[in-house]
Amino acid sequence: MTQAPSGSVAGRLAGRHLLLTGVTGFVGEALLHLLLHEVPDVRVSLLVRPKGSTGGAARIAKLLEKPVFAQAVADAGGVEALLASRLGVVEGDLADVPPLPGDLDAVVHCAGDVSFDPPVDEAFTTNVVGTRDLLARVVEAGREAGRDVHYLHVSTAYVAGRRRGHVPEAPVEHDVDLEAELAWGLAQRRDTEHRSRSAEVLEAARRRAEKAHSRAGLLTAATATEQARRDWVSAELVRVGTERARSLGWTDCYTFTKALGERVVEAHARAGHRVTVLRPSIIESALDRPHAGWIEGFKMAEPLILAYGRGELPEFPAAADTIVDIVPVDHVASAIVAALAHPPEPGEAAYLHVCSGDRNPLTFGELYSHVRAYFDEHPFQVGARGAARLPDWRFPGAASVDRLLTTSERAFKVADYVVGHAPRGDRTRQVARELDRRGRRLEFLRRYLTLYQEYAQAELRFSDDATTALRERLSPDDQRTFAFDTATIDWPVYLREIHCPAVTAPVRRLDELRARRQGARGPSAGGDRLPEVSGRAGTEGSGAGEVAAFFDMDGTLLSSNVIETYLWMRLQELDGAGRFAELARVAARVPSLVRAERRERSAFLRAVYREYAGARLDDLDAVVDELLSDHVLSRLAPAAVRRVREHRRAGHRTVLITGAVRPLTRPLAPLFDHIEAAELAVDGSGTCTGHLSGSPVVGESRAAFMRDWAARNGVDLARSYAYADSHSDLPLLAAAGHPVAVRPDVSLYRHARRHHWTIVDWASPPSASRGLNPAGARR
Amino acid sequence: MTRPGFVLEVDDRTPPLVVHEGLGFRLEDFPLGTRVIYPPESLPGIADVEGAVREALLHPVDSDPLPERLFAGMRLTIAFDDVSLPLPSMRRPDIRQRIIEQVLTMAAEAGVDDVEIIAANALHRRMTAAELEHIVGERVFRSFHPQGKLYNFDAEDRDALTHLGTTDRGEDIEISKRAAESDLLVYVNVNLVAMDGGHKSVGIGLASYKSLRHHHNAHTMVHSRSFMDHQKSAMHQSAWRIGRVIKDTVPVFQVETTLNNDVFPRPYEFLMKREWEWSVRDQASMLAARRGLALAPQKLRHKLFHDLRAPYGLTGIAAGEVEAVHEQTLARVHRQQLVEVQGTSDVLVMGVPYLGPYNVDSSMNPVLATCMGLGYYFNSYRGHPVVRRGGAVILYHPLDEGFNQLHHPSYVDFYEEVLAETTDPAVIGEKYERQFAEDPWYRHLYRTSHAYHGVHPFYMWYWAAHAMDHVGDVIWVGGDRRAAARLGFRAASTLADALEMASGTVGTSPSITYLHNPPHLLADVRV
Repeated sequence: MTQAPSGSVAGRLAGRHLLLTGVTGFVGEALLHLLLHEVPDVRVSLLVRPKGSTGGAARIAKLLEKPVFAQAVADAGGVEALLASRLGVVEGDLADVPPLPGDLDAVVHCAGDVSFDPPVDEAFTTNVVGTRDLLARVVEAGREAGRDVHYLHVSTAYVAGRRRGHVPEAPVEHDVDLEAELAWGLAQRRDTEHRSRSAEVLEAARRRAEKAHSRAGLLTAATATEQARRDWVSAELVRVGTERARSLGWTDCYTFTKALGERVVEAHARAGHRVTVLRPSIIESALDRPHAGWIEGFKMAEPLILAYGRGELPEFPAAADTIVDIVPVDHVASAIVAALAHPPEPGEAAYLHVCSGDRNPLTFGELYSHVRAYFDEHPFQVGARGAARLPDWRFPGAASVDRLLTTSERAFKVADYVVGHAPRGDRTRQVARELDRRGRRLEFLRRYLTLYQEYAQAELRFSDDATTALRERLSPDDQRTFAFDTATIDWPVYLREIHCPAVTAPVRRLDELRARRQGARGPSAGGDRLPEVSGRAGTEGSGAGEVAAFFDMDGTLLSSNVIETYLWMRLQELDGAGRFAELARVAARVPSLVRAERRERSAFLRAVYREYAGARLDDLDAVVDELLSDHVLSRLAPAAVRRVREHRRAGHRTVLITGAVRPLTRPLAPLFDHIEAAELAVDGSGTCTGHLSGSPVVGESRAAFMRDWAARNGVDLARSYAYADSHSDLPLLAAAGHPVAVRPDVSLYRHARRHHWTIVDWASPPSASRGLNPAGARR
Repeated sequence: MTRPGFVLEVDDRTPPLVVHEGLGFRLEDFPLGTRVIYPPESLPGIADVEGAVREALLHPVDSDPLPERLFAGMRLTIAFDDVSLPLPSMRRPDIRQRIIEQVLTMAAEAGVDDVEIIAANALHRRMTAAELEHIVGERVFRSFHPQGKLYNFDAEDRDALTHLGTTDRGEDIEISKRAAESDLLVYVNVNLVAMDGGHKSVGIGLASYKSLRHHHNAHTMVHSRSFMDHQKSAMHQSAWRIGRVIKDTVPVFQVETTLNNDVFPRPYEFLMKREWEWSVRDQASMLAARRGLALAPQKLRHKLFHDLRAPYGLTGIAAGEVEAVHEQTLARVHRQQLVEVQGTSDVLVMGVPYLGPYNVDSSMNPVLATCMGLGYYFNSYRGHPVVRRGGAVILYHPLDEGFNQLHHPSYVDFYEEVLAETTDPAVIGEKYERQFAEDPWYRHLYRTSHAYHGVHPFYMWYWAAHAMDHVGDVIWVGGDRRAAARLGFRAASTLADALEMASGTVGTSPSITYLHNPPHLLADVRV
């Protein structure tokens, strides 16, 4: 290798020892790549946090296996050789910075949370505390080596906050009390956790959960309540952070804490150290290093570009002439290296903006037209329906976009309520499915538009005179090698030929894969095919215990409900006028029964079974045997019976669990090994008291029954099957390894889809009569 | 004077003709030159039915008069044809009621008190109490049913069956124990069509699966040409062999009755008339019926049709020795139903009506519709099938009634599981019959509910085996496409389309014959 000229960047950095944080991030990776390829004689130590069971060194080894590093690894003769000769690994975390190597010349801190809406405590920890701890170690290392370590801090141009107009390369003007804010921010986790346990918060969460889940049981509701509390904490931590940031003039907690982080860095500089603060704007895919279009993970604009390409982003809350400040990642890495080669004087921090807006502005209008042009030329092929229709943006302004979104959200809420209360059916389920899709879209839009609205409206112009001056100090060769002149970017080429193709490539691959899988499996692929009932018990899985299949009765095996079945039984005993009176009486009670049903299934059953008071149990059995078995049998869903029989053939135990009274299950007895039904309590003379002899088996008690029954009978629930139709059967379904939702109601349908449960449509034969007095004609 | 059946050749003066299709009918313009086979007009019914019954019982054929065969202390069993006959059900009083009442009177006079009355339903569904009552009448029902002396035959009750040995061809004979051990078995039959009666009554009606499987299979049915002609029917030959063995051990007194063609009550009589002879009133009824049916939902149409009770007249009754009686019976059936047809044609058109033997008060599911069209109607011939070998059959039925889960549970599974695999009757029998026949759930439903036996859908498919073997193409006009495809056939929306589709098999100008049925007819095809 030739000796680099002494004035060149490589020459100036030769023999130096750098420490990098955040090397596993986007900028860090680009920077490492640049250093490995263009600055041959620099040693680099990497501060890496162990992740899970993977140690720091292993993470670096893994990082170096990526294709972009293949050349560097090959040149060094293998990952290990590269690690031995040029790279060092310092295992450690910014939350607890370890001692740094003693011979450091410079530290580049590009680790940090890049999410715009981090929980407030995390934002402070990474951006302020982390920086402060790192600096303490830097001072320590410098003292040890007896030299001043150049500290390069990667910040963001948006620390300027909600200012308007020209932003100089200088400290952000503000007089926020750093210590007070820090103490407040770090205390928020504890405070919010405390507040989340207050009666008000919990009661609201519990009420909502019980309204949705009480039919399934109180424990299910409790689980949902606790989940809601945790969600509330997460949301609240984001909310208080954002509010505090806005109250002080920043867009969000990210930029706020980044700005406070700069204050820490400035204090370090004032203590007589060399410090560079480098502020890139929106970092996007590389212009040409490691290769054009190189991008890792999704950054800021990608989700929006993809959503637009799918036709799901109808408008954007920006003005067409607002500047969107984008900079390719390789420009950022190059600027960092150049800054490292030209450290500032100690005592005063040097500021560098790496931005495009000042000298090569790109407006939202232009961005939109380039992205649109790209998708016009290369549309997404969505399923079999051809290219998605691309929305035409007219940039009506943030307020009207927000209005549009708010209206949509309101409409969605209304529709959601209607669907949640609509009678079940194929159509309702279809509507629910469509609605869920829309809901997800709206949620996405709301999240991203809220997040980006601030940036989209930030009419900032970052001056980059200092950066330009730095560049002019480089030799012409170095200016080419370490290119960061954003004025040279040709936006149409960058967006249409580099960035958009790079961003859409993984999605296209995924789409293709999905299309191929669908083609192979046929159009009905997905959750509507029943799992094969495998052969004899014990041939699948680990084989501990037998397999059982649990079936719900009403709605799953046959189309009926307990009110109906009560009437079937009751009307047999009455004459014409009596029947009419009974029907009228029951009809009058329907609203209260429906309310009870929505609230709690067992209360509902008790209310219905009260009506059996005075009937003789033997008579009920006889009524069923003589008059109702035909009716029950004729309303069995054939597919359900087939499935029960398949299980029996496979050697599985079959169990019927129902809230219906036992006499009604008599016709089905031969299909099941065990029937768990409601037992009517009788007095000494065999007359029903109107009470049950035990609690009805509903909701969670079904799951409890299943577990108990399985344990007693040596059944392995994880290999067992459960079939049910309503939300109240959630615990029953969840208890088995193979849950199947049968003609589910909307809430069960949604749950089943979310959890990838099988959904089937077992219908009773259309010819089955639906009369309330089925045996009437037969007597 | 009753006009005989005849063959009409469609010319330009022929009006649109009635074609039955499930719960409705349509008026179809047939291509010129189409032959339409009309059954003979309804024969006059016997006025004094009671007298005719008494006369038959007192003066039987090749037998002592009934009173002489009755004695005190004897075991008397009366068996009768079940709800599958006649079609549609007869208006009260049913002819079987009139016969059973007189037999019981004679038995009472002779001091017989051990009497049991059995519905000979073989593997058919158990009849409901109401259906039993409709057939035997209120008095008999009240006296016998509550005591359990009037009941459905149970072919799966091992204790109530007896094995009488085998025929010289090794066919098992297993029938009702009570019937076999009686001092006299009186069988009361309704001989609606030529396949009924004779040795088929006891030998099949009171037999178990073990016995039936010898003649109810694809091989036998392909060689029954047709099963409406017992001398050329392999199934009947087997039944006759079995019957002759039974005759040697069980004293059978066979009573056979024949009915005329009055199948449609008012105001649907126009369906039995020749279209060009419709009066203004007939035309008005026809229009009203068509408009009403077009508007009515399926359930209502189902009820309208299935509530029909036919005002049948009795054309004759004979009693005594089985074969001698049956000979007289067949002659009367032929007088009412036989039509002479010259030569075969390329295409046979048939309309499948709402009712067959196995969907009384139930639904005509696709399997039954196939059996009705390719089984019963296709086999309504003597000598030679109406359609030439390799010809096409065009059937009318929407195939949309679905399955009755109470009556036909094994049919649903047969349709979903077996037909999805194969539609070849021989393969189906080989591979699946036993499994369905011995299935405990179907057996349970057959014995305790009102389900046809598990093996019954197989028999329906075997009925159609001869037709499937004989013709090249089967097309359903107006049929549900998915159902038709599952059955192994095709569906067309109109007759013209169906003929277009069949042109690959029979050419573009085939000869066509339309069987104008119901009322029942039997084509006597001369080649």
